[in-house]
Amino acid sequence: MTSPTISRHARWGVPTLAVSAVVAGFALQPLLAAASAADLPETTPEQLVAQVLAADPQPLSGTVVYTADLGLPNIAALAGVAGLNSAMTSADPTNLLAGTSTLKVWTDADSRSRVTLQGGTSEFSVVHDATQAWTYSSHDQTVTHYTVDDPARLAELGQTEVPVPADLPTPPRAADDLLAELGQHSTLTLDATTTVAGRAAYQLVLTPKSTTTLVGRITVAIDGKTFSPLKVAVWSRDDAQNPAVELGFTDVTFATPSDQVLTWSTPAGAQVEEVVVPLPTDAEIAEAAAEAQDLAPTVTVSGTGWDQVVTITGLPVDELMGLPGTGPDRSAHRHPLPGLAQDYAQMPEEAPQIAQSLLAGLSTEVDGGRLISSSLVNVLLLDDGRVLVGAVPGDTLLAAAR
Amino acid sequence: MSDDLAVATRGLTKRFRSGQVAVDAIDLEVPRGAVYGFLGPNGSGKTTTIRMLLGLVRPTAGEVELLGRPMPQAAAQVLGPVGALVEGPAFQPYLTGRANLVRLDACDPSADPATRDARIDAALARVGLAAAGGKKFRQYSLGMKQRLGLAATLLRPRELMVLDEPTNGLDPQGTREVRTLVRELADEGTTVLVSSHLLAEIDQVCTHLGVMSTGRLVLQGGRADLAGQRPRRVEITTTAAHLPTARRVLAEQGLTDIRVPAVGPDIRVPAVGPDIRVPAVGPDIRVPAVGPDVRDDGAAGTATRLTAVLDGVATPAITKALVEAEVAVAALHVREPSLEEVFVELTGEGFDVAR
Amino acid sequence: MPAETGPTAEPTTGPTQTERWTPRRGATGRLLAAELRLVLGRRRNQVFVAGLGLVPALLGLMLYLTRDDPRTSEGPGFLTQATNNGVFLVVASLFMCLPFLLPLTVALATGDAVAGEASAGTLRYLLVLPVSRSRLLFAKAVGALALVAVAVGVVATVGLVVGAALFGLHDVVLLSGTTVPLAEGMLRVLGVVVYIGLSLTGLVVVGLFVSTLTEVPIAAMVATVVVAVVSTILDTLPALSAVHPYLLTHYWYGFAELLRLEVDWNTVGTGLGLQVAWVVVFGAFAWSRFTQSNISS
Repeated sequence: MTSPTISRHARWGVPTLAVSAVVAGFALQPLLAAASAADLPETTPEQLVAQVLAADPQPLSGTVVYTADLGLPNIAALAGVAGLNSAMTSADPTNLLAGTSTLKVWTDADSRSRVTLQGGTSEFSVVHDATQAWTYSSHDQTVTHYTVDDPARLAELGQTEVPVPADLPTPPRAADDLLAELGQHSTLTLDATTTVAGRAAYQLVLTPKSTTTLVGRITVAIDGKTFSPLKVAVWSRDDAQNPAVELGFTDVTFATPSDQVLTWSTPAGAQVEEVVVPLPTDAEIAEAAAEAQDLAPTVTVSGTGWDQVVTITGLPVDELMGLPGTGPDRSAHRHPLPGLAQDYAQMPEEAPQIAQSLLAGLSTEVDGGRLISSSLVNVLLLDDGRVLVGAVPGDTLLAAAR
Repeated sequence: MSDDLAVATRGLTKRFRSGQVAVDAIDLEVPRGAVYGFLGPNGSGKTTTIRMLLGLVRPTAGEVELLGRPMPQAAAQVLGPVGALVEGPAFQPYLTGRANLVRLDACDPSADPATRDARIDAALARVGLAAAGGKKFRQYSLGMKQRLGLAATLLRPRELMVLDEPTNGLDPQGTREVRTLVRELADEGTTVLVSSHLLAEIDQVCTHLGVMSTGRLVLQGGRADLAGQRPRRVEITTTAAHLPTARRVLAEQGLTDIRVPAVGPDIRVPAVGPDIRVPAVGPDIRVPAVGPDVRDDGAAGTATRLTAVLDGVATPAITKALVEAEVAVAALHVREPSLEEVFVELTGEGFDVAR
Repeated sequence: MPAETGPTAEPTTGPTQTERWTPRRGATGRLLAAELRLVLGRRRNQVFVAGLGLVPALLGLMLYLTRDDPRTSEGPGFLTQATNNGVFLVVASLFMCLPFLLPLTVALATGDAVAGEASAGTLRYLLVLPVSRSRLLFAKAVGALALVAVAVGVVATVGLVVGAALFGLHDVVLLSGTTVPLAEGMLRVLGVVVYIGLSLTGLVVVGLFVSTLTEVPIAAMVATVVVAVVSTILDTLPALSAVHPYLLTHYWYGFAELLRLEVDWNTVGTGLGLQVAWVVVFGAFAWSRFTQSNISS
């Protein structure tokens, strides 16, 4: 029997020890994870970009965490006040603007892949298998099956996957897009090597040549072995401490995932919606290019690179001030995550009012409209129906509107 | 501290966080084999002392030895042979009396499960609960609860019994039974420390006494020694008319401290039994006789009493002198020193709530 | 416990010469058994657990009666899944009980454990037997955990039985849309049940600590429920995102990992590890507090 014989000091020693042990345990975790940081061979930014763009896609499986802190008012709280039931246990769409989302990625680097958006107790999956693709929402057990009308045409177009509007972002996709689009408008530098998901990685820094954009810099962590981008972080000019948006692996394994993950079989009892994606013929592509010209009156792009301002005209701003899915033509506002868009679609009758109160909370009144201001992107909704979007200050948008 | 002591404390002190000193540097000495009456008004610190003896409350200062071992350090080794009833019985109300004892015994690390049923039956029988063992504890009367508490201490033979107010809630019959139990335990060789705020309840069974008053141990010792320190007094009942004569005679006989106790017609001494308190006991109001043998003379208002210290004068001589002086003597008692008197003198109050 | 020699090495004349005062074999086992009998045998606890068992029964019945109503497709996927497959009624029932009813069960068990014994006065009699305070605290923890385990088990079992009766048992569709055989599905659901049970251990120990602070069992119970509720609320405040991973309730819904195509053992392990951390810290606090406290009731 111990208690009466142990000195009184032990009574405080034991809790102190327990707390220290636990704190040490938590503190050691990242240290252990970072222990594998290794020296990587010297390289130059240009060489690295070339290697990334040239690198073969890698078969991999991993966990991706997306974090956004755009400096917007607390959307979840606003939604809660407005009466939107954002259950913490389901994949919360507002997390895309503020908060954290977890995705899981599996790909064989060829024609098969699976990306899932993990809700607390739900999941939204996008599965690609060459000429077919499926999305599945565990929330309401609905499957959308995408096929192409002419599989052979897919190969002709040089694509390996069916284009699905619900495709989820992964670090390689995001990095490739960024490097291709913005590389030429940026100064490329290398930062000290780092460790991402336990792997030694280069850090490429894209600093906008423009001094007027809201974007401060973009860092891309690139795996030292496979040259696969592991993490993309976008920093606003205002906040050098924390990235405004970050998309990166927390865990990654470069190996071909198992067949069980990459194959899809529609579960019994699920509602299936069939969608045939028409692949354009060459003639249609040419026609589309011509149409793009026609689009000019409605979508104008001014400025270049980081300072681009996209002006959209002829939009029913009244409807925008409602929400996607409440308008007459839902497909016009296809949400990046259809499963989540459907969540919106299932919103109660008072949805427009909720949307308006949300908008009121998010935006500020400016001359001739409302401005939604975030640390990276500003959106100007004008009463005349024009919408201006750009990674530039609100004043620039207002100036562009005049 | 001596091995001959079952309980010994030195400078035992408990100061509560409020600053109140509940127990003030007491040196308790309970010899092995003694029946130690631990007396004091409610709130005088008895229960806090007992809690410190048993390791339930940590002393602010001082040492405790129980059966020769330091407490609370040796609690695990020393508490087994100690049976305790602390501040009233406490059991799970939704269990039967018997199930409560089963639970306690099962939790006792050194109890033999094989003999449990027999020991429980015996303990219940000994306190007169054999028939009520199957009743839920919450249905017990106060007296039955007290008996169950005693039964729990009797599950195993003990070396030391610490009984805190064991007669609380018991009727006169129950109180007598507790006294008998204490005697039996003492006869078996068990040291008993029994606390009470009622002297009369335990006076008769104690071999030793300790008196607490506002946290201090104001008196401690063998009962005979304590009593010996007090003078024997003679008490004469006569008539008011003869009182001055009687007083003179007594003085002539060499008796000292001659007093007329202020028991007048309005202050009646009720039939004082072991379980009934004397209500109007104050420092200058003497209760002439406390105990089962008390009698009221039934002539209140006419009879007058006179007491004096004997100082070695033989009673026959007093009787003779009184008769010769033609004093009408209705009664003459030689009163052994009353402990009650001792306590009243020491604590300055009766055995009612102290504070 | 070390086998100490009796306290009376010197000769005694008392009746205790032949009595053995050193702990007997199995003393801890008897203490635990007595504690389990006390906790599980208590009528109030039995009624409460039986009431918990009604949750899956009523939930199952409600889903059965409204299975054709399109509105039932709202709410978490488990609810709608349950109408297809009785196995999911287990998960749905536990999901419903997790925010409040299970913490209440924990509070009920831990509030009684120390504060209840203190307020009844029985604590002092256990301690003078003597039962060492460390062992008593351990026994109390085991008793409280047992009640919580039984509560979780009853909800799961009733959920399975009612689910099987109303909706049948079929191959299990995971959150990822993949179908696994019934046996594997049952195993995963069993994992969910175990995970939820283990997720409550931190709260049990916190409740036990609270219970050592007071002699009023109701106060301890309320405080324990408040801890769980406040933790849940803090977990939803974005401003506190830095502390979210350390909140007691943060990984409570991590059981969903067991229903994904590839179980993220990392999350499961983190969730259980967090509980271990809370158990260690508050276990140490509870021990420190209980072994030092003055028992003045």
